[in-house]
Amino acid sequence: MFGKVLVANRGEIAVRIIRALRELGIRSVAVYSDADRNALHVRLADEAAHIGPASSSESYLRIDRILEAATRHRAEAIHPGYGFLSENADFAAAVEATGIVFVGPSASSIRRLGSKTAARILAKQMNVPVVPGNEEPATHLDHARALAQELGYPVLLKAAAGGGGKGMRRVDREADLEGAIRDATSEAERAFRSGEVYIEKVIERPRHIEMQIVADNYGNFVHLGERECSLQRRHQKVVEECPSPLVAMNPELRDAMGEAALRIARAAQYRNLGTAEFLVDQDKNFYFLEVNTRLQVEHPVTELVTGLDLVHLQLKIAWGEAIPFAQEDVTWRGAAIECRVCAEDPERDFFPSPGKILQLSEPAGPGIRLDSGIYPGWTIPLEYDPLLAKLVAWAPDRHGAIERISRALDEYAISGVATNLGFFREIMQERRFRQGDLDTGFIADFFRHWRIPECVPDLGVIAALAAASFSKNHQPETKNGQSETSRWLSQGRSEQLR
Amino acid sequence: MKLQILVDGAPVEVDADLLNDVVEVEPGVYSILYGGRSYEARVTRSPDGLNVDTGGRRVSAEVVDPRERNRGAKRALGGGRQNITSPMPGKVIRLLVSEGDAVEAGQGLVVVEAMKMQNEMKAARPGKVAEIRVRDGDTVGAGDTLVVLT
Repeated sequence: MFGKVLVANRGEIAVRIIRALRELGIRSVAVYSDADRNALHVRLADEAAHIGPASSSESYLRIDRILEAATRHRAEAIHPGYGFLSENADFAAAVEATGIVFVGPSASSIRRLGSKTAARILAKQMNVPVVPGNEEPATHLDHARALAQELGYPVLLKAAAGGGGKGMRRVDREADLEGAIRDATSEAERAFRSGEVYIEKVIERPRHIEMQIVADNYGNFVHLGERECSLQRRHQKVVEECPSPLVAMNPELRDAMGEAALRIARAAQYRNLGTAEFLVDQDKNFYFLEVNTRLQVEHPVTELVTGLDLVHLQLKIAWGEAIPFAQEDVTWRGAAIECRVCAEDPERDFFPSPGKILQLSEPAGPGIRLDSGIYPGWTIPLEYDPLLAKLVAWAPDRHGAIERISRALDEYAISGVATNLGFFREIMQERRFRQGDLDTGFIADFFRHWRIPECVPDLGVIAALAAASFSKNHQPETKNGQSETSRWLSQGRSEQLR
Repeated sequence: MKLQILVDGAPVEVDADLLNDVVEVEPGVYSILYGGRSYEARVTRSPDGLNVDTGGRRVSAEVVDPRERNRGAKRALGGGRQNITSPMPGKVIRLLVSEGDAVEAGQGLVVVEAMKMQNEMKAARPGKVAEIRVRDGDTVGAGDTLVVLT
């Protein structure tokens, strides 16, 4: 096995990977920008390398600096995590050219699947259903009009190089098509430096269900089942679960979608972990969307239900081991749900809320897993994604997992910054969520009738008592600049003297 | 003795004896036994006073000095100064009010953009715009006062 691996990422996912490395007896090398010297991943790693200023374009996205750090620290492999350079084929190629192993697919597989239109073409060749539409760039307005007419409105414009909803526009009637193409093209141009957009039919109120696949260097391909990620806000996933409530009722969907995902993976000569994303319509027809050629944020729900460690698996495959199980060995037990805990304020339209973590109480107990990148006293940098931690619960069934994650959400307290913990508490009590009646419009519907929740009984008295005690114990401003900590230290010292 | 605390601007009176069942278990974290029930509350400072998190809700709180009881009561009725601050560093992209304007609770005052998101700062209670401390295009820091309401 590798002796040392560099983790080209930050935050909770860097911590997650460093933990796996430690478990496998591999030394870890963290990388950090100026904003992350104090970050948890740097504290937990065996070695750490500074790679530049706070801005990610000057640090976590700098291929040259990451390679230089890997060489200097003699890392034998690089794990890219998710985001940043993880799906960048040039990065994968540059890593391999340096003689270092890239923990992921080959650069050529990333290229074949990286463009949404190229992946669509591949899927069609493999007889995997795709959303009706075509891959022609919607540059000729006449062609675009004819295609939209043929598909029937509403249609969706999508960026070929896209992700995260950028360069995406829904068009409900022909009169809006020209303006929407112009807007989507310029947005895609700015976000991805490629203004290419194409047209698909809108699937109304779909579910978002994705299949986890794994492949080794010896032609073994296995799928690890699905994750349902229908709860999304502005095309960003918020809550994920395994199994999908829909698939749990229709187990044949798992086989069909898993087989479809593997056909695409085989055609792309894929290796390591990947995820094929699908939309599923109201009539349970599924349509291939795209392949994410990396570890997903939401991988823990699959781990809890299959009992596998996906990061261990990634490292073993990269080292050259074969997948140590066959398709028929994979079993799915119980149910797991994940909430993406972010520093953002639901009462202010989920506005990012960076700042210092003043207090932190983390949930624990049966069936709870917390993949977190924070600690009390740490200041969340402004420059990066607001994801702080992923709270995941497992139970023998979905109802139990909902009750368990609700209990853990009640135990979880982060003060100093606004978070979406309260929002998740409410979602877990929603009747539609509990029934498993999900689609990608769920969160928008939820907010259409959302009000700031009613006060809990006694809230006024409890808040008043807490505030009064705080004012009694803590002077408004410490006159000589003494911090709280030094005040207890001196208190402790004086007690010892007694 | 009775203590008066403004919770989200509304006065709450509590008996000082109740503080005997309030224990600071971690810095700023209080275990409170009240009416036989066990509660936990977390207190942090904010630019305008204190924030209290309990039962998944966050409220603002301000302990009223007994000598200023009358002032406290007046503030609760909607009077008193209210500083509208920016929650994070950003740029002022629009002013929605002018000095001297009367505003309703929840009315938008200033739009600040940060991390490519626009955020409308709103009045928490009715009042009058006493002072506008920023202009269009200004860069502001976290906690900077944007507008003062009286």
